[in-house]
Amino acid sequence: MRINERAVFKWVLIVGVAGASVIGLALLTRPLVGSLWGLVLVIAGCAYGIRWTRDWWRNSRSHPGGPDYKP
Amino acid sequence: MESASVPLPHGAGGHAAEHEHHGPPEANQSSRIDRQTLGILLFIISEVMLFGSFFASYFFLRVVVNPAAWPPHPFELPVGVAGMNTAILVSSSFTIHYALEGIRKGNKQAMKLGLALTWLLGLTFLFVQINEYVHLGFSIRTESFGTIFYSLTGLHGAHVFIGLTLLTAATIRAFRGHFDKEPEKHLGVEVPGIYWHFVDIMWIIVFATVYIL
Repeated sequence: MRINERAVFKWVLIVGVAGASVIGLALLTRPLVGSLWGLVLVIAGCAYGIRWTRDWWRNSRSHPGGPDYKP
Repeated sequence: MESASVPLPHGAGGHAAEHEHHGPPEANQSSRIDRQTLGILLFIISEVMLFGSFFASYFFLRVVVNPAAWPPHPFELPVGVAGMNTAILVSSSFTIHYALEGIRKGNKQAMKLGLALTWLLGLTFLFVQINEYVHLGFSIRTESFGTIFYSLTGLHGAHVFIGLTLLTAATIRAFRGHFDKEPEKHLGVEVPGIYWHFVDIMWIIVFATVYIL
């Protein structure tokens, strides 16, 4: 994945939907339920971020044009 | 005994070498990410940590200290106004994206319109937030709640102000015809765009945390 405005905008939409789900859940049930759902989303986001970073570095080493590429 | 290939120190006969190169060596340039984008990403990562420390303080006060009422009686947060402000800021992410999609296709009018709209929406957000501060009825000294409320929303407001400053520069440059469709010729819009999206993402989290939960 290339890092540019388009990619960051995609994350605005993802966080927007996630935030809307937290707000909706908190308003429909109790703030605690919304908070716990928010925590689940944050943990899932962190796990995804760690995996993405690992893959990015792995690709950087093995693909031509990557910062650590050695033929 | 030193070998002949060791470079001589400055002022000791190394004049020929000095004329060949000045200053530090060229920075390594990855083809996957340009320096400006990498710079703003590293800056944003440091900003995420800053916001993280403020959120940690907020949740410490809210959960661990656990005061009797949050917000303290008789104060109430204007959720409706903040919700409207959230819609304004989220809309501004769409307009900056529209501006960048425009310039990517070589449509400079779309870029100018998108940038101007983003700037106006950002300014409206800031104005509404200042207006909200005036009418809240509590100050930064009103218990720990007031302190963390103003710190967190104020920190975000400061970021909106910085984003608006960047957008002002980008908008002026756009109207002067500085940008073009090639990626390296519209970095002056791309980088503020990334920053503006970050500010938007942070506000969604701040709003959900402070006003709703």
